[in-house]
Amino acid sequence: MNCYLGVDIGSMSTKGVIIDENNKIIALSYIWTEGNPVEAVKKLINILKNQLDKKYIVKGVGTTGSARKLIGLLLNANVVKNEIMAHAIGTLSIYPDAKTILEIGGQDSKIILLNNGIITDYAMNTLCAAGTGSFLSSQAKRLNINIEDFGPLALKSNNPVKIAARCTVFAESDLIHKAQVGYKKEDIVAGLCRSIVLNYLNNVGKGKKINSPIIFQGGVSKNIGVLKYFKEILGTDVIVDSNSHLMGALGIAILSKKNSSDKVYDLNIENIEFKTKAIECKGCSNNCEILRIYKDNRLIDNWGNRCDKYIKNC
Amino acid sequence: MKIGIPKALYYYYYFEKWRYFFDEFNIELVSFDTDREIIAKGNYYASSEMCLSLKIFLGHIAKLVDKCDYILIPKVDNYGLKDQMCANFSCLYDLVNNLFDVKILTYEIDYIHNLNELKGFIKLGKQLNLKIKDIKKAYHKACIKFNKKMKEKIMINTNKLDSCNKKILIVSHAYNIHDNYIGKIIKDNLTKFNCEIIYSDLFNNTSDLSFYLSNELYWKYSKQNIGAIVLCKEKIDGIIFLTTFPCGLDSLVNELVIRKIDKPYLNLVIDDLDAEAGIETRIESFVDILEQA
Repeated sequence: MNCYLGVDIGSMSTKGVIIDENNKIIALSYIWTEGNPVEAVKKLINILKNQLDKKYIVKGVGTTGSARKLIGLLLNANVVKNEIMAHAIGTLSIYPDAKTILEIGGQDSKIILLNNGIITDYAMNTLCAAGTGSFLSSQAKRLNINIEDFGPLALKSNNPVKIAARCTVFAESDLIHKAQVGYKKEDIVAGLCRSIVLNYLNNVGKGKKINSPIIFQGGVSKNIGVLKYFKEILGTDVIVDSNSHLMGALGIAILSKKNSSDKVYDLNIENIEFKTKAIECKGCSNNCEILRIYKDNRLIDNWGNRCDKYIKNC
Repeated sequence: MKIGIPKALYYYYYFEKWRYFFDEFNIELVSFDTDREIIAKGNYYASSEMCLSLKIFLGHIAKLVDKCDYILIPKVDNYGLKDQMCANFSCLYDLVNNLFDVKILTYEIDYIHNLNELKGFIKLGKQLNLKIKDIKKAYHKACIKFNKKMKEKIMINTNKLDSCNKKILIVSHAYNIHDNYIGKIIKDNLTKFNCEIIYSDLFNNTSDLSFYLSNELYWKYSKQNIGAIVLCKEKIDGIIFLTTFPCGLDSLVNELVIRKIDKPYLNLVIDDLDAEAGIETRIESFVDILEQA
């Protein structure tokens, strides 16, 4: 039987699903990227392979997320697509009547507006990572809390502290100040969750009509503290799917299904040696940082250059 | 003699006219393309409140300082009460004069106080000891050639509206989208996805059309840009607003326009950090959505 693999490699976590012909998830996994997407994907594929029944053969591979290009090369993917499309398609396969998708990931956050299953508008955070998962996790580390315990702890608070929501740099100094004057940990954590929501609605969601049904997804949607404040501030129900963190991977798997051919993909990639080498081009004063990608010590691609000097070399 | 023209801000509005004018006197002009080194230099001289485009301008000056005899920096304040320039434009001369040890050629354009372009060019020529008669002749010749060249550019831009590819109007100041560094990333990415790029600054008399979106504005180039939206909104598929951080005019004008248009749009704000991957993701997803619609 045919199946399709979708991999979503984000800055914080790497997600993978395998679906069958009916878009049903037959294998799934979610692990931390830990700054090494290649190793994370190797680990991920191994986990997925063990979940997969022998009767299935992989007929399509899609990659999305910030490392989509690199991992696309590693897996020979037939589809490499940005996160917006992947998330929208993944969500629509489960909630065909969704009107708004709120998504907060590791370094990107976005809002996607849908009407009758078609994307009508979207916005993404500007190029700064304020109010995203990486901010939450660095603050969790500062407060010495496991990121998994963050949400439950926030729910305990009756009196969330007010934290500046404009910018993470301000938020952080605010936070330190609040801790130094003796606020309880749960109040600070709850204040953080609330500031993430306010920040999101004031930046990404600015000027957008947020209609129900609202689906909240991305890694941060697993944080029940943030979910609570979304519901409270929007004054309406917000749906979080049990697979909310996998929507990007699911969407890209569906896209690869649509684009599949007769080609069969081999998931034995553990022994492929995959290296990237960064060099600084001295050709002109732009000093582009060029990434050269080697598969088993053979140069297969390079990117990052602003001219076509390096295109000829491979 | 060499005159340095910083390839930023003013360059994108006046360079051709200057070139034709100085050609008449066989005077050589020097300028360089923006690159990372120039942006770094600009950052060094600029204060943190300045917009990226102004930082780039200062970077160009730093690069030109020892490579020419004069640097040309006019002071353009307005073309009339309802056609004002960004305040940064009129302060450039004083800014550079204070920051750098360099000889500057300058002239004023201020229609409110009856200083028109010809008067400006006469002042410019006098600083180089040129005869008034020759200056006037050269100025008129330059104007004719300049107008012809502009007509060609506008024609090419207008013809693109009939293309069968996805047509994207870029609403941006000329000095951002035509810049070799910041504008090029956007252009390259759009070309990669087979989009036709239409420039808001290359149309005829669009300023008056801006009235349909707002009758309060008094910035010459902002009016021109949003007038272009009115002119071609029926023919385009999407709009990209390209702004350099922190541009005062755009932060007001774009916000105002975004509320009134019913076209898909993308608001791109560029800072001096190198975030090409982020720009690529945004443009790619924008084009995807246009294709889906």
